[in-house]
Amino acid sequence: MTQQHEKLSAFMDGELSDEGFIDSIKNDSESLAKWRSYHVIRSGLRKEATVMPEFDITAQVAAALEQEATVLAPKSKWKSLPVVSSVVPFLRQSGQFAVAASVAAAVILGVQQVNQPTADDSFSTLQAPTIRVSGMPQAGMAPVSLEQSNILPGNRNGDIEAMLQKRRQINALLADHEQQLKLKQAEEHPKQATESDPNQP
Amino acid sequence: MTMFTPTNKIKRTARAVRLLFLASVFCVTPASFAQTSPPPDEPAAPQASVPDEETQRGLSGFEWFEQLAQINRTANFEVSFVLTKAGQEMVPYLWRHAVLENGIEAEQLNLQNGPGQEMIRLGNVVSVFEPDLQPYSIYSDAISGPIPGDLLYNPAALQEAYQFITIGRTRVSGRAAQQLRIVSRDSKRYNYQVWLDEETGMLLKLDMVDLQGSLLEQIQVTGVNVSELPSPYFARINPQALPGPVAMTPKPRQHQWEVNFLPVGMHEIKRETRRLAMTGQVVEYKLFSDGMVDVSVYVQPAQESLDSDVVLRHSTNTFLSLTNGQVQITIIGKIPPQTAYEIARSIRAAGE
Repeated sequence: MTQQHEKLSAFMDGELSDEGFIDSIKNDSESLAKWRSYHVIRSGLRKEATVMPEFDITAQVAAALEQEATVLAPKSKWKSLPVVSSVVPFLRQSGQFAVAASVAAAVILGVQQVNQPTADDSFSTLQAPTIRVSGMPQAGMAPVSLEQSNILPGNRNGDIEAMLQKRRQINALLADHEQQLKLKQAEEHPKQATESDPNQP
Repeated sequence: MTMFTPTNKIKRTARAVRLLFLASVFCVTPASFAQTSPPPDEPAAPQASVPDEETQRGLSGFEWFEQLAQINRTANFEVSFVLTKAGQEMVPYLWRHAVLENGIEAEQLNLQNGPGQEMIRLGNVVSVFEPDLQPYSIYSDAISGPIPGDLLYNPAALQEAYQFITIGRTRVSGRAAQQLRIVSRDSKRYNYQVWLDEETGMLLKLDMVDLQGSLLEQIQVTGVNVSELPSPYFARINPQALPGPVAMTPKPRQHQWEVNFLPVGMHEIKRETRRLAMTGQVVEYKLFSDGMVDVSVYVQPAQESLDSDVVLRHSTNTFLSLTNGQVQITIIGKIPPQTAYEIARSIRAAGE
């Protein structure tokens, strides 16, 4: 059974070019269901889910196909494409675990969100630290793509907690910036009044 | 002129009469303004407006903005505009301005979608009403909205950083318009395209474009109504019901670091040390402005920092954060990432 699933997965990745395999799925209702759900999961993972899991059109398609004349066309083999054939071994390696792994990640994410340190934790910075800037950031940073968010590789410990923490800090800074702009003119006002005197001829 | 249908022409004529009236009022003090009688419907008025427009066409870029500033301070108007940012939904605003009978300027800016946001200015007190926040008032002689205050009221303050260039005549919001560009003097900031109503001088459209010329942010006026009398809305405001103004007294703090690179015409307007509201982290903060854009610089100890360098764009703001092991430097503002990087790299310990 497991072997059948593995073959199914490989077939989805375009790796298996066994002519008889299609027929073997077609005749196995369990494999058919698996085939469908694999596709739903895959499109979901790719964020292109146009197929709702409960919206099963395969039955209607099958009915429609029954009426249709058989079209005989040369079967395209993905393996014959040079790019695909070099990519596929990688897909085969990771693809079979992709679903399970992503479920695990989602679970961890859920736990982490529950166990997020509360906002009070970071209030432990009691005294204002003196800040010394003795050196300069040496990170070799090239001009980046303006369109997309980039998190430059600095520390490779792509920890999810660190990620959330990072996001929280970025949001805190952005929110503070917006707040400062709102109050800017209020604080600018008295300052301008005092500064305008020396500027006047 | 020729593009208008006869019915529009009548409306335009009526408007022109009002404008002429307004123009004559500009020379008078605001107090006497309210006592002036409504304008007589003289047939001579439309003809009189023609030479007026001829001279307007010869205005320099800066003179156009001076005229805009004068109108924004003295006219009674109601403007609807939408704010669009790349990749975001457009946000509609209603903006009213009036000079009241007692000579006090009144202004209102209302965000029209969702729970909204209302800002009301009477004289030099701005009251802010926002969902989820206690209403508050601050001392300010301009509402801080999506249109830069210096552009609306104080174009002279922009001249150090930007050049004003007239482009030509076009049509915007159904009106004959004068197109202008606001170009940064050092190409370290984004540039702007502005369209002003040829007849009234009011703002019709404002585009912020990046250095490659693609649109980042746009303000498009969808309706303008200039009137002789203040909008009845302002009569309904009860000044006693507004929250009392909070005096902001900035405490200048000494920081042990300095920013050594800034775009031309950008100056420090604030420095302080405080806690971030969301995380409670202590930050040292400086705010810089060139009149069109504001740039925040944060410096905080690296042990509570992001642990890696980050560059991202949040709506039209560039967010750049560098860590060098001891401190984290963060730059936020509507500036190109390259400029943010240059600013961040220019920070040195004071006296070094």
